[in-house]
Amino acid sequence: MRYIILIFLLFFNFSYVNADAIYNLIKIPNLEVHKVDDVNGIKYLVSKRGFVIGDTNNIKCNGINNSDLDREFNTIQNNLRDYNSNFLRKINLKFVVLCKNLEISGINTGGIPDNKFRTLILDLTFNRNYFERMIHHEIFHMIDNSFPELFKKNKWSKLNNKDFSYASCSTCTDLLGLDLEIKKGFLTEYSMSTAEEDMAEIYSLLKTNFKEIDLLIKKDNILTKKKNFLINGLKEIDEKFIF
Amino acid sequence: MIKKIKPSLSEKILFIFLILLIILTLSSFYILNNKCLFVKKIDLNNFKFKDKQNIAIMEVECGKVLIELDSNISPKAVNRFKKLVNKGSYNGSAFYRVIENTLIQAGDIEYGNISNINYSRVGTGKSGLGTIKSELSDNFLFNAGSVAFARKEKFDTEDSEFFITLIDIPIYQGEYTPIGRVIAGIDSLKKIKVGNKSTYVLKPDYIKSLKLLVN
Repeated sequence: MRYIILIFLLFFNFSYVNADAIYNLIKIPNLEVHKVDDVNGIKYLVSKRGFVIGDTNNIKCNGINNSDLDREFNTIQNNLRDYNSNFLRKINLKFVVLCKNLEISGINTGGIPDNKFRTLILDLTFNRNYFERMIHHEIFHMIDNSFPELFKKNKWSKLNNKDFSYASCSTCTDLLGLDLEIKKGFLTEYSMSTAEEDMAEIYSLLKTNFKEIDLLIKKDNILTKKKNFLINGLKEIDEKFIF
Repeated sequence: MIKKIKPSLSEKILFIFLILLIILTLSSFYILNNKCLFVKKIDLNNFKFKDKQNIAIMEVECGKVLIELDSNISPKAVNRFKKLVNKGSYNGSAFYRVIENTLIQAGDIEYGNISNINYSRVGTGKSGLGTIKSELSDNFLFNAGSVAFARKEKFDTEDSEFFITLIDIPIYQGEYTPIGRVIAGIDSLKKIKVGNKSTYVLKPDYIKSLKLLVN
């Protein structure tokens, strides 16, 4: 009887145990190692089966297949090779998790940085028009999270016109446009959501299209101050930093 | 008067079959219950150690496990490990965390001793000696049998807990402070009890004793 019960239990016991070696390290299940970049040491991990994480299971991402990966991997790797291993260590980035249809609390997002586990989750299917920018945008969040004292939000906010104020959170507003749309002191509509997003937008635009964006910034007094503010902070982290 | 009845041939065959079935059942039961049956025993006399000071002998349910400590890569970590071994702190330490065919973890001195294991707090205990700084190395390959200190999410939080890999886990390279390598007896570690559904093992296997070859 005991064996019959055992066989019965084994037959129906098919739920997956989230207890693999990578989970042990960064607390994201169902990942496989795709590549360890010998240029800057980033460990690329892929999710083929998808995952749900977060204290309230609010972060979801679907699994990717090889064609998704082949299409986007080089772009990601080339952009992340802008950062050397020393800089990555300072900003607490070691693991990049690749998946698709990433969402947090039901809202689609291109990336989620997690400094605690030195991990950046990236959505491979994020809009192609902003994909490279998104990578650097999320990198800036990792920089900011690691060095909040260098990028003080109240100091940044004071660079704007006095009649302007940011929303209380990036998702508490409908200012979500990512196209280049220069208004007094801002490069995109999304820049106007919060100070953090404003910084990340300017950083990512400079990182992906320095010449053109720098020319535009020079024409705007507030944007020039904001760029200098970012450079001062970034030079504190890495004195050789260049966009 | 009772007449003696002789069994027919088919009855004799049936009887023999039943006896064989009973023997088979009992022997299967014995084999299933004796997980150490096919584990090769370690005889210390068969080993010649170059550096006797850095050999630790762990005794688990299925036999001895020999660990060669590597103080070149992580001198502080090895020093801490030896200190705890010499104090006997690891004796009775439960393998409370086991990832099947991947790794086993023990060494929670405060809450993970088999004599008074605290299931709700195991994994959070302290040795009382404080934490030590991580000693990471890109030269130490996390092959099967690697022994390393466990840590919290942050570095420099190593204390007494350690894990042993049962397979190659290259992604751990540069992530955990290595202590040494299993040089014999890994099969005994592969028989350590695995938990079901969770990484924490209830009624876990434990370290019977852990000592240095030379104190």
